[in-house]
Amino acid sequence: MVETNSEFLVEIRDVTYTHWNHTEPTLKGLSLAIRRGTFNVLVGPGGSGKSTICDLLSGKIPHLMGGELEGEVWVDGINTRSVEVKDLALKVGHVFQDPESMFATLTVEDEIAFGPENLMLEVDEIRQTVETLLETAQLKPFRSNLVWNLSGGQVQRLGLSAILSMQPKMIVLDEPTANLDPVATRSVHELILSLREAGMTILLVTRELDDFLASADQLLVLDAGTVIAAGKPADVLRTAGQKMVENLGVWLPETSEIGIALQKTGSFAVKDIPITVDEAVCFLKETGLLKDQIIGKPAPAEVETAGELLITANNLTYTYPGEIHALKGVSLEIRAGEMLAIVGRNGAGKSTLAKLLVGLLKPGGGELNLFGKPAQQWKVQELANQIALVFQNPEHQFLTDTVEDEIGYSLLARGMTSAAERQKTINETLELLGLSLVAKAHPFSLSAGMKRRLGVATMLVCRPRVLVVDEPTYGQDKQMTQTLMEITEGIRSQGIAVVMITHDMRLVQEYASRVIVMSEGQVRYNGSPAGLFGREDILKSANLRPTILLELLAALKAQGIQICGEIPTTSAFLDALLPERSAASYRQEEVA
Amino acid sequence: MSESTGHSLQYVYRDSLLHKTYPLVKLIWVFVVALGLFLFRTPLPGAVLFVAVLVLAMAAGRIPFRQIMSSAKLIFGLGIILMFFHFFADPGTPVYQLGPLTVTDGGLRQGPVFFFRLSVVVLSSFLLIWTTDSRDLMVSLTQAGISYRYAFAVFLALRFLPMVQREVDSVRAAHAIRGQAASSSLGHRFKLWQRYMFTVLVNGLRKAEATAAALDCRAFGLYPKRTYVKPVHYNPKSLVLLAVTLIVIVGLMVVERGL
Repeated sequence: MVETNSEFLVEIRDVTYTHWNHTEPTLKGLSLAIRRGTFNVLVGPGGSGKSTICDLLSGKIPHLMGGELEGEVWVDGINTRSVEVKDLALKVGHVFQDPESMFATLTVEDEIAFGPENLMLEVDEIRQTVETLLETAQLKPFRSNLVWNLSGGQVQRLGLSAILSMQPKMIVLDEPTANLDPVATRSVHELILSLREAGMTILLVTRELDDFLASADQLLVLDAGTVIAAGKPADVLRTAGQKMVENLGVWLPETSEIGIALQKTGSFAVKDIPITVDEAVCFLKETGLLKDQIIGKPAPAEVETAGELLITANNLTYTYPGEIHALKGVSLEIRAGEMLAIVGRNGAGKSTLAKLLVGLLKPGGGELNLFGKPAQQWKVQELANQIALVFQNPEHQFLTDTVEDEIGYSLLARGMTSAAERQKTINETLELLGLSLVAKAHPFSLSAGMKRRLGVATMLVCRPRVLVVDEPTYGQDKQMTQTLMEITEGIRSQGIAVVMITHDMRLVQEYASRVIVMSEGQVRYNGSPAGLFGREDILKSANLRPTILLELLAALKAQGIQICGEIPTTSAFLDALLPERSAASYRQEEVA
Repeated sequence: MSESTGHSLQYVYRDSLLHKTYPLVKLIWVFVVALGLFLFRTPLPGAVLFVAVLVLAMAAGRIPFRQIMSSAKLIFGLGIILMFFHFFADPGTPVYQLGPLTVTDGGLRQGPVFFFRLSVVVLSSFLLIWTTDSRDLMVSLTQAGISYRYAFAVFLALRFLPMVQREVDSVRAAHAIRGQAASSSLGHRFKLWQRYMFTVLVNGLRKAEATAAALDCRAFGLYPKRTYVKPVHYNPKSLVLLAVTLIVIVGLMVVERGL
């Protein structure tokens, strides 16, 4: 009998795990421990084994997923090998990455009741639990809704409630807010934080640390199947922050990024890396870098309107069967060479607009002119040569059996008949997107991040005049996001218009030349990103939220510091604080 | 692509007689209708049953005609193709020559029989889906003594239909953009169709696998029995549906055999 420490709810000891169809282990000698009643945040690059750890705790590994498991996993004094998954359900509640796939009933209230029904709890007790959770998760008005007619945020909150109703000792959340709009994300975050306040033991896998870092009891950093740092967030950021940002591509709050960058210069005595905006303000004061004004890049007076006009919509409407009015009079234009971001809450009409642009839907009313011709006169296939759409689920658009064939197919469709030329372009594209090693692999066998990149690649090589990308960075870590965005920047500079549908406000702030905010089927804002972040009313009505950097700038303003020009990124902020850093980077650019 | 476009093949609560009918009775009713259809030898009883089920759906189930057609048009189309196939393929006395093809009297009789068999079986199954909360069907099966683990399999299968339909719509949209560009030859189209089926199947299987794992994670099967928060009550009046259907089928058979 192995001794376990009752202070810990979870102990993973020297675990090496290889998935059943893999040769290389995903987890390599991994050990970690989680104390009872603590809030633990797990971060790491894509493919580092985060989801595998979740599966270990719920018992899916080894009971359902097979593979080779060495080492021990103890949950509440039980070795997970010795009991079945359904027995572990009383100990660990696992909210899947895609909660919709774990739903087993039709309606919201039935879904919450499902777990307790399996546990044979009394009917009255179950009813009471359902009522409480409907209230906590703000799902009361939707109690009779079908589970597939919920918004993204509601799906996540329901997934969490369905697990909480079983009263497990711990909950494991795997990327609960991927692909949610910022306010829906915040509503899920608030629910998680309220559970933390209630003393629930939580393991959260996320790449959105902004709301959590300050309240986490333990931050675990995973790289290549091993925990490389674990401890209080402030300690981990101080010792491993630089590696997290530079090598692992972890998205840290901009406040922490600034702290880490200043720590790296070696010119400042950094006790703690700031996490919250208040901490960052204090930190910056202590560095003595704050002057009366911070001067950023000169802001462009107006949004550029020089490019050739490619698409115009005038009072465009679209209604789905069942009188669902998705678009209610949308007017916009898209010009060559611009990076247009379309943002708004889930269900605001963004995807409907994208479908209209690529010809999958025809306008219900108003005018839509695509490349000089009314939308009604275009066939989808003809339009595909002019405008390309990268779908949210890239698997839907894969048509061949290998990664290189996917790109080759697009090139052939573009009219590149020379096999040698095609192969050359394929190799270049694969290299560019870090897909060379999987050139012969089946597209379906790739990781989520790689699939996304391949989806983008197949469309990029078509050289369309407009490229529409639905959530370009969904599931990508920071480095790959930057690579993808640099590639799209590159094609934009060649005169191609890029339209990105996104919830990622950091992306909008850093890359978009123009932003359109949609809400309830209408355009609420059409202009520069900087202008948008000054319009609190619009941000609120469209469920958007300024970035932490903007919150920091606002806090500095409130301290009487004048902010001049545009500061869209942490790098720009640091350049403004440290003019010599800015000069050095210019010199580097010139040399390059 | 997150907006719901609304799907026609799913349960929606309506205040109708069929919605109130005991789910297990409706399931048995589907089997009775199917059995009856396979006993008929001529088109007329099938046609009567076709109209009867259609009227039942609209009058007793309050299903709009448009929804019926939207869900069933593919099956009706397939039925018509099968019917024409039978015109030429079935043995019998030649009644019409169309080039190298011969229409037989046997084919003219069997074609519509097959059309009605397919259409009515599918239509009555759809009627079960439209008017039955699949959870209630599961509960009624357990009330009949079937283990809840097996009853739940029926429930999950029904629950999967709208999800598969959504997946089909999404893959179709993606293929419409990318698939047709390289070639329009028949071979290419067949390949695309293969890929289409592959994607839907793979994603369907993945979802099924994830759901199966989720059931374990949610303690499904932990005990031999489970609690049901919403009970389903058996009402003997439900048997009227079965009785009337049996009378109609037997009556039609008597008329058919007597003719």
